[in-house]
Amino acid sequence: MKKNILNISIYVAIIFFIILPVIYTIFSVFFGDSSFLENIKLLDKNTFLLLAKSLLLAFTVASFTTFFGTILALLLYKTKIHLSNFLKLVLLIPLFISPYILAVAYKDFFFLVFGNSNLISSFFGVILVLTLVFTPLSILIIGSALSNINSQIEESGLILTSFNRVIYKIVLPLIKPALISSFILVFIFSLSEFSVPAFFGVKVFTTEIFSRFSAFYNHSLAILQSLFLIIICVSLLLADRKYLSKASFLAIGNKGTKNNLYKLKNPIISNLFLIIWLIISVALPFIVLFIQAFSDGTTNFFKALELLIPTFASSFFLAFIGAIIIVFVGFIVANYSVKYKKTDWVLLIVFAIPSTIYGISLIKFYNQPSLNFIYSGYAIIIIGYVGKFSFISAKIIENALKQIPKSLDEAAQIASISNSSRIRKILIPLILPALFASFIISFIFSIGELGITIMLYPPGTEIMPIKVFTIMANAPQSLTSSMTLIVFSVSLLMISGFYFVFKIIKRRR
Amino acid sequence: MRKLILISIIALFVSCNNSQKEVIVYTSVDQIFSEPILKDFEKETGIKIKTVFDTEETKSTGVLNRLIAEKDNPQCDVFWSGDPIRTIVLKNKGITTAYKLEIAKDINSVFKDKDNEWTGFSARARVLIYNKDSMNKEDIPKSIFDLTKPEYKGRFAIANPLFGTTTFHFAAIFTALGDEKAKQFLADLKQNNVLIATSNGDVKKRVVSGEIACGLTDTDDANEAINEGANVGIVFLDQESGFGSLIMPNAVCMIKNSPNKENAKVLIDYLLSKETEAKLAKSCAQMPLHKGVEIPENIPSLDNIIPMRIDYNKTSVKLEEIQDYLKNWVE
Repeated sequence: MKKNILNISIYVAIIFFIILPVIYTIFSVFFGDSSFLENIKLLDKNTFLLLAKSLLLAFTVASFTTFFGTILALLLYKTKIHLSNFLKLVLLIPLFISPYILAVAYKDFFFLVFGNSNLISSFFGVILVLTLVFTPLSILIIGSALSNINSQIEESGLILTSFNRVIYKIVLPLIKPALISSFILVFIFSLSEFSVPAFFGVKVFTTEIFSRFSAFYNHSLAILQSLFLIIICVSLLLADRKYLSKASFLAIGNKGTKNNLYKLKNPIISNLFLIIWLIISVALPFIVLFIQAFSDGTTNFFKALELLIPTFASSFFLAFIGAIIIVFVGFIVANYSVKYKKTDWVLLIVFAIPSTIYGISLIKFYNQPSLNFIYSGYAIIIIGYVGKFSFISAKIIENALKQIPKSLDEAAQIASISNSSRIRKILIPLILPALFASFIISFIFSIGELGITIMLYPPGTEIMPIKVFTIMANAPQSLTSSMTLIVFSVSLLMISGFYFVFKIIKRRR
Repeated sequence: MRKLILISIIALFVSCNNSQKEVIVYTSVDQIFSEPILKDFEKETGIKIKTVFDTEETKSTGVLNRLIAEKDNPQCDVFWSGDPIRTIVLKNKGITTAYKLEIAKDINSVFKDKDNEWTGFSARARVLIYNKDSMNKEDIPKSIFDLTKPEYKGRFAIANPLFGTTTFHFAAIFTALGDEKAKQFLADLKQNNVLIATSNGDVKKRVVSGEIACGLTDTDDANEAINEGANVGIVFLDQESGFGSLIMPNAVCMIKNSPNKENAKVLIDYLLSKETEAKLAKSCAQMPLHKGVEIPENIPSLDNIIPMRIDYNKTSVKLEEIQDYLKNWVE
């Protein structure tokens, strides 16, 4: 009874703080807006063609990222390669940098090498940049699932057959939920991504929503169009659920069962693949940014540092608190979904809509005199982060929870161990890598979040991505690139710190 | 640990509480130019200023949309816009309020709202920026209509006309020429393979790099390129033809039911002063609207430029009318 009350209270809080603003906004478009019928008429053939184009883009990017993410995660988490811990961290770098800034860096690179940027300013360019940006997300999700596989199962397989067959027949089926989660998350991210297609001048569904919003100031139509994204994403999740309900899940590695690493027979090809990936996704944009940052000497670098120092504390505070709450919400929803009833689709409603539309929804809902204590402070930004990224967290944690054999929980119940003890002493230690991966992803996304933050940040406050992007307009390229490099270095330093703390916690356990 | 959690919770809710001696300003003017002015205001008056800036990524429409969304419970006192069109949009949505200014009495009435809901100051102009390596002096277009000639086919760029000052420019062309001629002009531009860049900054960047020979942009973007040492030149178009160049003043307005009315008035007075115009002339080549403001030598005076003769309110109405046409034109 006590357990149910707690669950219900948390769900009510999630629905009130996060979901209700979106529902309120959608409701007001349908019932409180006189232009509703006119807006319906504007949903013409072109709108649906753009939606189809966006779906194709999202499908292609999600397929590529999951494919490359699987290969890279297998190499990093299942094979013995040199500097694997270093590579795990370095390959995450594209996630630290805003897709928009990466798009600028790649465009500059293409111009430097080919003399024009026509090739990248295309549908192909959008696919390329988004694939490079989101592959680290796939690596993290798939890598965390690979770390959880019971090595005894692999060892049994290896007695009977080759390493490659073990991968195909045992490992990949075992991590199927993670592969599908990676596909779905990247699909949704790519579907709602606006800045890269807009920068490359490629018209997709989100740029259409943006122009309705920003050129026509027609918020109602923009929200109406966003509804299509919600419907598509929820349908995708339901399809995934139907498919996964038939899939079998195997056990997580128990305490004391270490993650086995295997030596490749022919490491040259895999090393070459890793090096090429590293050059394209990390070194190349990094070098472009570095050259641009120091093209006028070091003056602008120090100026960038001076501009960004006041933003460090508030940005870290917001991203840290945000990531903690996101992991908490993700855990509650995932645990409930695995044990009782699937409810993660509730979080998907917010995840699927473009950030600016979610920002507007939060303003319309929270900007009331009675709720000023939330709206005029940092709390509103935290709500924005939690709303936007909890679905990712829930998905990652859900995968880890599914890999735990029910017998463990049942045995603990028979031994009359309380629910909270079972969670603290059995569940959490077993899914610690997934909780950590979820925390890291949430932290990275929160610290770089722009779309919601620009709509909600309290006047007079200084937050890192806002500062970079507001200074960007009309600032010298060297200053902008310096700021990007600093943001990236600070984020990397923080993530390294978290990894260090995580290792200590893991060792103690 | 518990103390830390408590402090965090307090920080989340009270960190940004309002105080008596402050003013909240939202601005679509680039932070690099607007922030120094606002900091000076803070120093000189002792009134704490809290600002929300805009970003290039949102085409500088983020704060405008935020103001529209906040209409029923305004958080902002003053909106400082880079052009009058945005303030007119706010006025039409009932978000601004009148404030008559003594300090702006010598500013030409063209640059002020008849109901005193917005006032213009420090202007930018639409100019042609060209790469000196890609274009000989005699080949440089003198009129915007030259861009439809065969010799410029595929050699020039404009920013996406759905956003920012390019929308304003096209709406002004429609107002000045009439719909039929303006549509023909746009069709001819498209026929001549105009490159549609993502922003004025992108136009500047492409011209500076030599990817394209010339393009239409704003004086502050062009001036920035020159300050960065780029080999580019600037031309005020249509000075001989008499059609004129588009002049775009900054505009400032007070938000209706704003929380700090009196401080808002002090800030608006400050922004409309000759001193602010002198600072903006120096930092971003903006042309003062007050008479007798000291400006650097390289900044043209509005007295020497033939402007497009337009009514900003009519242009704003026209802008709304042509948005669907422009959207189709871009596609």
